[in-house]
Amino acid sequence: MNKADKIFIGLVVISAILLYIPLFIQDSQNKHKQKAVVVDYQNEEILRVDLNKDETYRVQASLGEVQIEVKDGAVRVEKENSPYHLCSIQGWVKDTGRPIICLPNELVVQIEANETGEDDVDTVIQ
Amino acid sequence: MKTKQMMNITMLIAISILFHLIEATIPLPLPIPGFKLGLANIVGLVALYMYNAEVMLSVNLMRVLLASLMRGILFAPGFWLSLCGVLLSSIVAICAKRNTSMTIFGVSCASSAFHVVGQVIAVTIIYSQFLMGALLPILLLLSIPTGLLTGFFANQVLKRIQTER
Repeated sequence: MNKADKIFIGLVVISAILLYIPLFIQDSQNKHKQKAVVVDYQNEEILRVDLNKDETYRVQASLGEVQIEVKDGAVRVEKENSPYHLCSIQGWVKDTGRPIICLPNELVVQIEANETGEDDVDTVIQ
Repeated sequence: MKTKQMMNITMLIAISILFHLIEATIPLPLPIPGFKLGLANIVGLVALYMYNAEVMLSVNLMRVLLASLMRGILFAPGFWLSLCGVLLSSIVAICAKRNTSMTIFGVSCASSAFHVVGQVIAVTIIYSQFLMGALLPILLLLSIPTGLLTGFFANQVLKRIQTER
């Protein structure tokens, strides 16, 4: 390893951190907002559900049925058909910066913050 | 091209296909899509340092083509991902060796980092998914240790080959 090697490695690490900063900022901004689970299939939204409601959902994707479980403010892909089962191995996700991507199924499960935020509480004044 | 050199290149292609197939069959326990060790790149680096840029390109391209054919995914999305990654990584490795003073470790890191970049570009184009970009930072960070690992192996192989000659 010489100087050029170390400079290159340093550059890659710095660029990785720089690429991560926008994701991190977005995540910290969304921390206290209402969040929703959004499921995209072939880049089209097919399911949007509340993150705080515990339930299991089934959707149809390229390689058959995919089960998505929402529990305790986190989401995971429970069962799916794909060569390596990478998206179900990935487990629970509860922040907005990390989508669960299942390329063989062309499915993306992502947590999104609702734009309305915390103020969006239904109140009835009598 | 001399017959002996041709034989050697054929052997290199055969070994790299083997590595490629092994890597494709055994998934890593790390739950990050797109992450792998890049064992086949060892052979590409050995080809680059033993012969020249042309040999490296042909070894890598033949490897992707034949390994995809054997796995039955020729011209499927997975094939284009491999091809895009391998093209970018080979070109960057060749440029890095030719134009900078980097050793085999640096060249290996460069090629593994740009393999990731190539694959993310391919995913973005094929699936029109920009979300893969969210995984780019972590994949880039992980590409450094794997690049050093393949560089280390390639270095060891080259040392032994040169003493045998």
